[in-house]
Amino acid sequence: MKKKLIIAVLLVGVLSFVGVYYFVFYRPTHHVRDIASEEAIVVSAKDIVKEFQTNESASNTKYLNKVAEISGEVIEAKKDQTGKPTVTLKSDDSFSNVFVTLRGDKQLEVKGGATITIRGVVTGFLSDVVINDGIVVKQ
Amino acid sequence: MSYAQKVYATRTAQVKFSSSTTAEDIDAVNNQVQSKFIGKTGQLMFSLLMKGFAFENAMMQEHFNGKEYMESDKFPKAEFKGAINGMATIDLEKEGAYPVMVSGDLTIKGITKPVKAAGLILVEKHKVSAESSFKIKLQEYGITGKDIGTVIANNIEIKVNAKYD
Repeated sequence: MKKKLIIAVLLVGVLSFVGVYYFVFYRPTHHVRDIASEEAIVVSAKDIVKEFQTNESASNTKYLNKVAEISGEVIEAKKDQTGKPTVTLKSDDSFSNVFVTLRGDKQLEVKGGATITIRGVVTGFLSDVVINDGIVVKQ
Repeated sequence: MSYAQKVYATRTAQVKFSSSTTAEDIDAVNNQVQSKFIGKTGQLMFSLLMKGFAFENAMMQEHFNGKEYMESDKFPKAEFKGAINGMATIDLEKEGAYPVMVSGDLTIKGITKPVKAAGLILVEKHKVSAESSFKIKLQEYGITGKDIGTVIANNIEIKVNAKYD
């Protein structure tokens, strides 16, 4: 009986240690958001820019840190200064577009004028609506 | 158009910050920083989104954006507006590394304070880039979370690196 108790206590101890280790140390540094299957707000590049221009604070509440699935016309695909691929999607206002930093390290092969759909995390509105952690879902 | 009148711009400048204490080193990086400067006058601006900072540890990122520290939902942006001093002495058409002083107003968490920093302007193969590093005191910007002064340093080092298009 006593032996069983000791085993049970040890087991609980080991399990809590593993649990704490996983949630405190492992998961925070290894967990990557699953952009492809997270629930996303579906919107066009034109509309999301318009929404942020019309009411930035309401749009922040609606979009910040959430995944959006955005379709639009490509203005240009480039690489940023650290080598990450980027793509800019057109809105109705040529001074304000959707600027996306994509995951990976290969420049997106797409011609200006083509329509694509991306998914990514909305980080907010500067002169563009800025998207991070982007992936291309339709090209 | 001569180079001097040109507006130099990028949407992918980099801002890094680091906090170093005996307890822990914390680093974060934002690669989606917008920056513009006017060649002739040296007027310079940076703006960035707090949610664009990536940490190695997702939990730290959550704390950083949360109520106790940056309140990024309420204050989603940080901004610097100022000028590169003595721009007239710099020829942006000539290759070189030019040490400069930058001064202006830095707004974080809705609080604006004057800052001054040493920087370097680099002209290489007709491309202009700028870099600088300086320290800020968190308390001055109303950032007063409970770990500041122990796990998080009181003074944070900020490193800026912008390669203009």
